[in-house]
Amino acid sequence: MMRRIHVEAVALILCFAPLAFSQTKSATPPTGGEDWSALDHKWLDSERTGDLDYLEKFFADSYVLVLANGQSYTKKEWLGILRGPDRPTLVKLDPENIKVHLFGNVAILTDHTTIKGHDSKGNSLDGEFNVFRVVIKQNGSWRATGVVMNQDMTKKGSK
Amino acid sequence: MTRAYGLAASMVLTIASCAIALGQAPKKPTAAGGGSLENTIAIMDHIWLDAAHNRDSATLEWLFADDFVEVHPGGFIVNKHEQIEQIMDPERTLNELHPDNIQVRYMSPEVAVLTDTTTIKGTSGGVSYDGPQRVIRVFVKQNGRWRAAGAGIARIVAP
Repeated sequence: MMRRIHVEAVALILCFAPLAFSQTKSATPPTGGEDWSALDHKWLDSERTGDLDYLEKFFADSYVLVLANGQSYTKKEWLGILRGPDRPTLVKLDPENIKVHLFGNVAILTDHTTIKGHDSKGNSLDGEFNVFRVVIKQNGSWRATGVVMNQDMTKKGSK
Repeated sequence: MTRAYGLAASMVLTIASCAIALGQAPKKPTAAGGGSLENTIAIMDHIWLDAAHNRDSATLEWLFADDFVEVHPGGFIVNKHEQIEQIMDPERTLNELHPDNIQVRYMSPEVAVLTDTTTIKGTSGGVSYDGPQRVIRVFVKQNGRWRAAGAGIARIVAP
């Protein structure tokens, strides 16, 4: 009797083990477990506060920034601006409504970023932007490789 | 005709991908034409815009990943379904659509990120989209073939 119960218990465990395993896998968040909001906030906080050591590591060598006027900058060019005398003063650089499209080792983030600040000549940089961000996984770390900014006209009904 | 075009494009890409897909390491940015994998991605860019120009919804369905996302000038964010719907809109006029200056910024065996300057001549929703646009495009390899994952587009404003 004891032996039969033992065999049945083993059979039950074997039956349910694959089910339990698949449930564990499917319980993984679709974002790959990454805290994308934290990544986006850390990125923009570093640009606002001038944490260039972080940005140097976080930007991939392939990084390219496209501003809303179509002007583009490489990693070297953009970090050069942030390091130089023409560095903009950013009072607010805040991403909201962050959405993630994950494709294995690349993720596309879209967000709504509010900017308050001015350039080195005092011209206002204030604006609301919808932003396309691309991050890639290199050696286990997510790094920024591309950004396209667009002024948010969606609430003005001008499509 | 549409199906034939999609099939031909598929065959070209399959052959090209098979020849080059093995063990490519991430690369520094290069102008398209610098290597066969870059050529494949440049071909994908042309297929994408040719299909949009020709309102070839079958090729766009084939090309766009399910979680495709695109951010347009004005900050309009669209998914795969919405993007194809916009392209197929009979009230939309599109006289010219082609990419130039294609530069592959990042390449790994399953991810490619490029920039190009896309020239558009046409209207959508009564709004003119004439002029050059700076674009970041992302391609991912899914089940052995390259698919478009997304794009960010900013209109180049004359200085």
